[in-house]
Amino acid sequence: MAVSKGRWRKATAFAGHNGVLIAFVLLVAFMVGTTSTFGTYQNLINVLQQNSIIGIIACGMTFAIILGGFDLSVGSVTALASVVGATLMIDLGTIGIPIGILGALAACLIVGATNGWLIAWLGVNPFVATLGTMTVVRGLIYVATNASPRFGVPYTFTTVGLGRSFGVPNPALIFLIVALLLGFVLHRTRFGHYVYAVGGSPVASARMGLKVARVRFAVYVLASACAAVSGIILIGQTASATPQAALGYELTAIAAVIVGGAPLGGGRGRMAGTIVGVFLLGVVANGLNLFGVSPFWQPVATGLILIAAVAFDGFSKRGGFVSV
Amino acid sequence: MTDVGLGPDAILRAQGINKNFGAVVALENVSFAIPKGEIIGLVGDNGAGKSTLVKIISGVLAPDSGMIEFEGKPATFASPAEARAHGVETVYQDLALAPNLAVWANIYLGRELTRGPKIMHVLDKRAMVANADNMLRRFIRNVPPVEESVELLSGGQRQVVAIARAGAWGSKLILMDEPTAALGVAETKAVEEVIFELKRQGLTVLIISHNLDQIFRITSGVCVLRRGRPIGYRETAKTRPEEIVLMITGAPTIAGSG
Repeated sequence: MAVSKGRWRKATAFAGHNGVLIAFVLLVAFMVGTTSTFGTYQNLINVLQQNSIIGIIACGMTFAIILGGFDLSVGSVTALASVVGATLMIDLGTIGIPIGILGALAACLIVGATNGWLIAWLGVNPFVATLGTMTVVRGLIYVATNASPRFGVPYTFTTVGLGRSFGVPNPALIFLIVALLLGFVLHRTRFGHYVYAVGGSPVASARMGLKVARVRFAVYVLASACAAVSGIILIGQTASATPQAALGYELTAIAAVIVGGAPLGGGRGRMAGTIVGVFLLGVVANGLNLFGVSPFWQPVATGLILIAAVAFDGFSKRGGFVSV
Repeated sequence: MTDVGLGPDAILRAQGINKNFGAVVALENVSFAIPKGEIIGLVGDNGAGKSTLVKIISGVLAPDSGMIEFEGKPATFASPAEARAHGVETVYQDLALAPNLAVWANIYLGRELTRGPKIMHVLDKRAMVANADNMLRRFIRNVPPVEESVELLSGGQRQVVAIARAGAWGSKLILMDEPTAALGVAETKAVEEVIFELKRQGLTVLIISHNLDQIFRITSGVCVLRRGRPIGYRETAKTRPEEIVLMITGAPTIAGSG
């Protein structure tokens, strides 16, 4: 009896800590069991292809959320990278590809540095600062393009967005590299450790001599850099750039990070959780599609999962409803 | 208090410290000394300038004028990091530790051990976990598990960890601003035991407290400030709470002063 009780407690503790992972595994098992198409190579490739761009943005967002903030500008920054990069590649031709990539990165780093400066040194609330830059950047993109798409990127560049290596879509490989690299930085290096420390207690961190402002600045630059990578992949998927690209991606990325177990309060969260969060939302979208449900239902599902994950997490941690 | 007369073995001496915040005089010509190896109380009513004085010693604030000597050498610390490098550490009433980090991570916060190539700064967690336990053992009898998250510790355990951290990093002088104000009786006792242990190992402690019972329990000397001015220094054994209260509140004559 005692043994089984101990086991039960261990099992519930495991479920409490890994609720999202269990939900994800059950979801995949359900999809494999109920559809013949989900488990096919082609469909799994589609899931990877469709979620890599959000996934890369979510990797950067994980840092911002653990820091105790978030970045609403990443959708606009993704579009900025794609428009700046595509414009340079179109105007300069094949030799413009490296210049386009560098130009896209540079433009995004300016936005990231602005976010970081506003938040770290001017003390502007992250919601306000990044809502502001999100709006300004999107507006500037419309002004510069007159809201019309840019076509004619050299076709060779579609290797980045549509090509495969070792049978895996290149965007998914880039996502894998970004996730491994940033997971290492977050969980193994001093900088990642400081992101947790500042997210947990900026005052205690500052008192122990941490350069809190520098950590915050670096995180917002990193979030923009991730968005830039996503924007460059976006060019490669269509050989063009649309000013309306990546609308709402910031919210999907935030949802994925939160579903993955990082609370908005900061100080907590893991890169692996974010990746599970990204694919949990992605597989649900894919499942709706396979079952022939209208794609208009997809945001409904995303929103419900977000609320359910956070409410369930709070409920299980408190052991009941809110009492105060 | 210029004539405190603490002898030559003071670890820290402050002379003629002035600090204004705009038109508000926070400290006016404060001079005092902290004898080495003792626990010294710093008392005064709200707004007397206790916290300002501690912040000036620990490098958080710069004095408008005045001189500070630490171990016989001029030392006006420009930042808490500089004060820490000289062996002056501060323990605050709250927000001393990051609650989401483990005990070992808090002990090493800002001083992490790294391994491998320098530029990557890869954390050497194993070494930090092992050392943190030993560092705490030096001052604490019941060491909390160092891999436990700080938020799972009680308020008293947290403060004990914060104080032991200050002691463990080779500090010579530890400044404490109301370290037990938020704690219960038993927890306060545990914290006081650690403070005694610091003294036993030769460290010097300056403690701000509103709790006169505590001041008389643990200190060997008391400095009193009132409205930014130094009122006097008493050896704890040769004074009584009534006298200290009079000095704090400002009685017309103070028995035994001079």
